[in-house]
Amino acid sequence: MIGKSGIALRISLLVLSSITVIFSSVFIYNYLFSRQIIQTNIERNAESLTQATVNKIDGVLSAVERVPINLAVFLEEFSYSGGELIGLIKAVVENNPEIYGAAIAFEPYAYSPNAKDFAPYFFKQDGKLQFTYIPYDYFGWDWYQIARELKKPVWTEPYFDEGAGGIIMATFSVPFYKRIEGERVLTGVVTADISLSWLQKILSSLKISETGYAFLISKNGTFITHPDPDLVMNETIFSVAEARSDAQLREIGRRMVQGDTGYAPFTSLVTGKRCWLKYSPLPASGWSLAVLFPQDELMTDIARLNRTVISIGLAGFFFLLLVIVWIARSITRPLRGLSKAAGQIARGDLDAEIPDVRNRDEVANLAESFRFMKTSLKKYIADLRETTAAKERIESELKIAHDIQMSIIPKTFPPFPDRDEFDLYATIEPAREVGGDLYDFFFLDDTHLCFLIGDVSGKGVPASLFMAITRTLIKAKAAQGLEPGTLLTRVNEDLCIDNDAVMFVTLFLGILDVRTGEIRYSNAGHNPPFIMRKAGALEKIQGTGGTALGTMEGLVFKSRSVVLSPGDVIFLYTDGVTEAFDAGGALFSDQRLIKDLSTVTNGSVKDITESIMASVKAFAKDAAQSDDITMLVIQFRGGASYTTAR
Amino acid sequence: MEIQKKKEDNIMVIAVSGRLDAVTSPELEKELLSIIAEGNKSLVLDFAKLDYISSAGLRVVLAGAKKIKQQQGILRLACLKGVVKEVFEVSGFDSIIPCFDTADSAFKAGS
Repeated sequence: MIGKSGIALRISLLVLSSITVIFSSVFIYNYLFSRQIIQTNIERNAESLTQATVNKIDGVLSAVERVPINLAVFLEEFSYSGGELIGLIKAVVENNPEIYGAAIAFEPYAYSPNAKDFAPYFFKQDGKLQFTYIPYDYFGWDWYQIARELKKPVWTEPYFDEGAGGIIMATFSVPFYKRIEGERVLTGVVTADISLSWLQKILSSLKISETGYAFLISKNGTFITHPDPDLVMNETIFSVAEARSDAQLREIGRRMVQGDTGYAPFTSLVTGKRCWLKYSPLPASGWSLAVLFPQDELMTDIARLNRTVISIGLAGFFFLLLVIVWIARSITRPLRGLSKAAGQIARGDLDAEIPDVRNRDEVANLAESFRFMKTSLKKYIADLRETTAAKERIESELKIAHDIQMSIIPKTFPPFPDRDEFDLYATIEPAREVGGDLYDFFFLDDTHLCFLIGDVSGKGVPASLFMAITRTLIKAKAAQGLEPGTLLTRVNEDLCIDNDAVMFVTLFLGILDVRTGEIRYSNAGHNPPFIMRKAGALEKIQGTGGTALGTMEGLVFKSRSVVLSPGDVIFLYTDGVTEAFDAGGALFSDQRLIKDLSTVTNGSVKDITESIMASVKAFAKDAAQSDDITMLVIQFRGGASYTTAR
Repeated sequence: MEIQKKKEDNIMVIAVSGRLDAVTSPELEKELLSIIAEGNKSLVLDFAKLDYISSAGLRVVLAGAKKIKQQQGILRLACLKGVVKEVFEVSGFDSIIPCFDTADSAFKAGS
C-alpha cells in the first residue's frame, strides 16, 4: 500500500495531520473559551439568585422582627391590662401571615405579684388560631433566656416545639422594659415565631436547573432547611463534614458560619454530583444560605456543543480523508499506469498502452509527452531498421564492388611466367571502403610492357567506377601504340567530358622496352616512382610536369625516358604508403620510404613489396587505414635472355 | 578541420586548418559551394595551418575552382607548405590553380 500509493499516503498524512492540529487547536480554544463564558455566567447567575433569595428571606425575617420590636416599645411606653395584652398578641398573629406564633412572656412576678409566670401565646394550627399559656418553666428556654441575658433582640437557634403544634420553628425574642421610679427594669420578652417549613417552602420554590438546591444553616451550622429532611435539625454542616472526612466542606461551613460570602466547588450531599456552591449570609438572623449548582447540568450545553463540534469535526475529517485519497488516487492512478507503460517501453514493447488521462493537468501533459515519446521511438526505430537495412544493403553492394574491383586488377604473380626479362610484383591493400587505387600491366606487343599505377580522388563506389573507366580508357588508347604523354593527353580529354563530379586520377604510366630496359613514361600528377639501382643508388624519377587526369581539358602531357640496367628496380607506389598515419597522426613520409627502400636493394620484387608493406603496417600499428596502399615493383633482368631465347 | 571565413573588399578569405581528408572534405565542399552560391567572385583558400590534404581534399579544391570559374570568378590558394605543398606540386594542381606564398599576395592579386 505504502509502496504503491506513496503520494496518496503522504498527502493524506500531511493534510490530515495539519487539519487535525488546526481543528484540535480551534476546538480546545473554543471549549476553554465557551466554558469560561458559561462559568462566568453561572457565577453571575448564582450571585444574583443567591442574593435575591437572601433578600427575600431577609425581607420576611425583617418584617417578622419589626412586630415584636414594636410590641416591646409599646409595652414600655404604655399601660396595659391582661386582656389588652392577649388581644394585642392575637392581632399580631392574625395579621402577619409569616408569623406562626407570638407570645409575651413576663419575668417572674413582673405581671402580678400573685403569679410567678405569665406568658400568653397565640399560634396557628391547621389554619386556626389557638391560644395557650406557656407553661411555668419557660424561664430556662433559649428563646427567653438568651434575649434576657443579652438584653437585646435575638433569633434563637431553630428548635422543635412540641407544645405549639409540633413543628420546627425559630423564634425572634425581644426583651421589654418597664419604667419604675425612673429606672428601666427588664420586664419580659416579646417573641415572634416563624415556621421553618415556610422557609423550606421558599427555598424549594427556587428552580436551580434539574437537581440544584438550596439549604440554610444556622449560626452554629445546624441545617435549618435541606432537601434531605433527615439532616434538618439533626445534623450540622460540621458533623456532615466529619462524617464525610471532607475538609473542604468543613472550611465552607466555617466561612458560612462566619458570615462570609463565597463561591466554591462542592460535592452534593443529595445527588453526589459535582457542583458549585454559592453561599451568602442572612444579616438579620446570622444564618447562611447556600445554593448548589450542579456542574454537569450547567455544562450540558457546552458538553452538547462539544459533542456536536467533535462529530462535525470527525465527519469532516473522514470526508476530507476520502476526498484526499480520491484526489491522490486520481493523480497517482495515471502515474502508475504511465510508470507501468514506461517499464514496458523500456523493455522494448513499443505497443504498450499509455493510459488516458481525462483531466487537463500536468499528469495529462506527462501522458501526452509519453505518447509522443512512444510514437517518436516507434518511428525512430522503424527508421533505424530501414536505415540499417539500407546500410547493410549498401555495404553488401560495396563489398561486391570491392570484390569486382579486386577481380579486375591482375593478382597472379609472376604474371608472365614465360618472360624472364623482368620480375614484377604488385600489391594493393584496400582501406575499409572500396578504394580508388589502381595498378595494371600488360604487353603492348612482344617487347613493350605497359604498366601504370594511379590514385583516384576520393573513395567508395564513385572512385571505383572512375578507376574502372580510367583503366579501360588507358587500355584502349594504349592499343593504338601511342607515346605515354600522348596517351595520357587523350585519356585526359575523355575523362574531362561530363566530369561533373570533378573526379580526377593521378597516374603514372610507363612503357618498358624489355629488350633495352628503357622506360618511356609520363606522370599525371602522381607520386614519382623510385629507381633502385643495382649498385645501391636510389633515384626519384624525373617529373614530366603533368597534372592529375580529369582536372582540366586541354592539358598536354609530356613523355620522358629512363633506362634501367639489368638488376635495377623501379618502385611505384600510391600516397597510401607515404601518407599512412600512425595513431599520433604522423605521416609515414617520403623520408621513411627512402630509408626503408635503401635497406632492401638486394631483395626480390616480392621481398621489397612485402618489406615496405610490413614497415608501413608496423608504423601505423592500430591506427585505422585511411587510404589504399598500393605498390608496383618491376626489376629489369636484362634483354640478353630475351635475345638468347629468340 | 576548422574553417574560418573573413570577407574584405569583396574577397572572401577562407582559412582551413587541420586535416582535409575524405572525412572532412565534404564540410569544406559544402562551405565553398554556399559561398560561391552567395555570389562571391573572389576566393582565397588560406592553407597556412593545413597539416594534410588527401586526394578527396584536392577534389574539393578543384571542384571549387571549377565552380567559381563557371561564374566568372576565381579561386586562389595561399600559404601552401610542407606535405600540402608537395601534394599540390606532385599532382600538378599548382599549375592549374593559382598559388601564392602569402594570403596578402593572393589578396592583392585578386583586388
